Amino acid sequence: MTRPLSILALGAALTASSVAAEGTLTISVYSFAQDAYKKALYDPFEEMCGCELVIETGNSIERMAKIEANAADPVIDMAVISSHDALSLANKGLLQPLDPAKLSSFDKLYPAAQDPLGGNMAVGYTFYASSIVYREDLVSIESWADLLGDGLAGNVSLPNITGTQGPLTLMMLDKAAGGDASDFTGTISAIGEHADDIVTFYSRSSELAQLMNQEEVIAAPVGRFAWSRFKSSPLPFAWADPAEGQAGGMNVMIMTANNGNEELAYKLMDYWLSTEVQTRVAEALIDSPANMEVVVSDEVAENLTYGAELINSLNILDPATIIANRDAWVDQWNTEVIR
Amino acid sequence: MSRLMIWLILGVTLTFLIGPFLIVIFAGMSAGEALAFPPQGLSLKWYAKVFTVESFRASFALSMFLAIFGTLAALLIGIPAAYALNRYDIPGAETIRTIVAAPIIVPGIIVGLALLRYFVVPLNVAITVALFVTHTALVLPYAVRVVSSSLNNLRADMEEAAVILGCTRLQAFTKVVLPNIRGGILAAFILGFVTSFNEVPASLFLSGPGVRTLPIDMLSYMEITFDPSVAALSALLAFMSVAIVFIAERLLGFSRYV
Amino acid sequence: MFLSRSEGLALALPAALFTFLVFLVPVGILLSVAFQTDTGAWSLQGYVDFFAQPLNQKVFFRTLKLGILVAGTAAVIGYLAAFCIVNLPATSRGRIFGLVVLPLMISPVARTYAWIVILGRTGIVNDVIVGLGLSSTPIRLLFTETAVFIGLLQLFLPLMIISLVSAMENIPRDVVPAARVLGASWFQVFFRIILPLTKEGLVIGGTLVFTGALTAYITPAILGGSKVLMLETLLYQKVNVSNDFVSASVIAMILIVMCFSANLALKRIASVKR
Repeated sequence: MTRPLSILALGAALTASSVAAEGTLTISVYSFAQDAYKKALYDPFEEMCGCELVIETGNSIERMAKIEANAADPVIDMAVISSHDALSLANKGLLQPLDPAKLSSFDKLYPAAQDPLGGNMAVGYTFYASSIVYREDLVSIESWADLLGDGLAGNVSLPNITGTQGPLTLMMLDKAAGGDASDFTGTISAIGEHADDIVTFYSRSSELAQLMNQEEVIAAPVGRFAWSRFKSSPLPFAWADPAEGQAGGMNVMIMTANNGNEELAYKLMDYWLSTEVQTRVAEALIDSPANMEVVVSDEVAENLTYGAELINSLNILDPATIIANRDAWVDQWNTEVIR
Repeated sequence: MSRLMIWLILGVTLTFLIGPFLIVIFAGMSAGEALAFPPQGLSLKWYAKVFTVESFRASFALSMFLAIFGTLAALLIGIPAAYALNRYDIPGAETIRTIVAAPIIVPGIIVGLALLRYFVVPLNVAITVALFVTHTALVLPYAVRVVSSSLNNLRADMEEAAVILGCTRLQAFTKVVLPNIRGGILAAFILGFVTSFNEVPASLFLSGPGVRTLPIDMLSYMEITFDPSVAALSALLAFMSVAIVFIAERLLGFSRYV
Repeated sequence: MFLSRSEGLALALPAALFTFLVFLVPVGILLSVAFQTDTGAWSLQGYVDFFAQPLNQKVFFRTLKLGILVAGTAAVIGYLAAFCIVNLPATSRGRIFGLVVLPLMISPVARTYAWIVILGRTGIVNDVIVGLGLSSTPIRLLFTETAVFIGLLQLFLPLMIISLVSAMENIPRDVVPAARVLGASWFQVFFRIILPLTKEGLVIGGTLVFTGALTAYITPAILGGSKVLMLETLLYQKVNVSNDFVSASVIAMILIVMCFSANLALKRIASVKR
């Protein structure tokens, strides 16, 4: 009796996976705020296109590794990712250039978001500021240098060097020490000297939210996109405005090469960039808009990275610099910090 | 050793082994918003919340599918192998034994990575199929071992008698051997089921968009959730495994075979 | 035997071929990656590069150290617990033994998660420490080697106890009381009687616990995090973070070699010390 049953089961598994490829779009996104995204974007999109979205989540590195592993026969059709990760995928020839004519909202985007990597390899869909989230009942943060100060020793977490936030933190610590962002060797050494004071190096913003809500950590640098997770907590979290200013970055949309699902992917991208969705996503306090036409209330704006003035004030690290130096940073980090 | 000493040692050991679960069960019953022990008031709302998480339905179904059919497939090829290794004098029996036992020795995370890189990607195999194959391979050693020990207890001359009395080899197997090792097969099934259902390291790399086993899904849920529903989820999972084993033990006395 | 060999082979081959093709072949290819350079030539460079990195060395020795510590501690507690269990009356023996086996049936994810609730900054242990005034602020327990050690010990201790209990059940009941009556100290009883008679069980239990601790993933991932890397978590990082398959292959080989040699070494010890 077992034989027919297991053949049946195997058959079912095989057909299930091949049927799923029809009328479905597989996208790869960051793991935070998935419930909110479902409401603001995924559900309305599925209804509109009559197709099915399959969502893969994870941090950028994990998701990049998967895109690379499956390059010959892409599983992921479209992904949202940091600008430097997008650049590294583009350099490896894993992406296809986008056609702005197929994106009706293209002209409404901030100029910086329209073609951030050159060659139309990506289009920005959100800007974010990065600063320090902290427990205002326990500490006060005036400068990025406070992260390595005695006041936070034993209660601070830093982003891992391999993630997107890691290099931004290096840049701001370097700036606080009087550097000009050209060389982070000294900054990494300084972190190494304080390694025992650092609880852990987090690799996803959701992991940090977890650590801070469990009161393992009372201050850490993080991107503004994760702010809603802290704001909704019963604990008193605040967003620092350090003397050196805030760091910042942009996340972009990309299309994998030869995925064969371009039409649906463009549809989703265009919908995601539309004033309607960008406003909805902004009002849910998830991602700040890259679409200039989005108008939100002051209250909402306060929780986001909103408006040309703020966006222009951010300290941005050039994606090409990150790619050129990351291996050296990781080597030094592994030797001096994770001893 | 005095009575008191014995119970003291056992008490401390068992508290260390089992105490943490009791704490998780109660932490999940908190009426408050934060994970804490002792819980702030009692409520079952977090246990209820677990059932509303949509992705758990799919991953639970996948894990059940793998645990049931992966184990059945392992038994399907494992029983004949165990029978052959026990009753026949076959060339290379030691090699066959070593090969079949290998999945126990190789760390799971390596298995998952190897299958992803050199099975799934080059042969373009669906993740579900890869998971099925992996779980079958991981359960196979247990199936062979438990069924073997069951066959050891069954005297070979019973089948020989059946053959002499006119049965074919196949009839002797289905009419004499199978009914007598039924308990061992069920024990192997339950052991395989629990092993597969709780498996993490090998499944870690074998996940695709929307395809994840329950423990892997739980791990990522734990990462983005910090309310007591995570404790409730852990407790429910613990209950489930224990219930399966408990029922099996009551019905079959399966610990005799392991 | 009146059965034909080819018939037997035909029955055993599906299982062997299945495991060989879908299991051993991919694992074998993975292990061979580290022995090849980019051009395909055979070389040990991957291993040289791996051990040249201080972080990798550190993780290697930490994994070895925790494996030995966990196995050693489990042996001590295991002997105490097993000796108590075999000296219980039959009915309570079965029940207590059942309670020892129980945790093995529970998902390691659930088993490890419990320790977050216990060892966290707001967990019970810290509540007690602060409540008793032993420390004015909570102390750091999570993301330390201690946390990983405790988690691994709880995960694998049952395997040691089970092995030792079944070994001790084979010691004739009167031997220990007789030795005591004749004036042997507990120390002598253990080293002259119990240990020699339960060596097999110790070897099996020790191997299971040691290899289990080496190859656990969830416990070091959840309780150790990025600061207390072990070989398993390092391997995951090499693959998913740095996309470094050569290092992953090296780690895989190290883990397999460690598991095998633990097995061999313990067997050797057991057969020499008669």
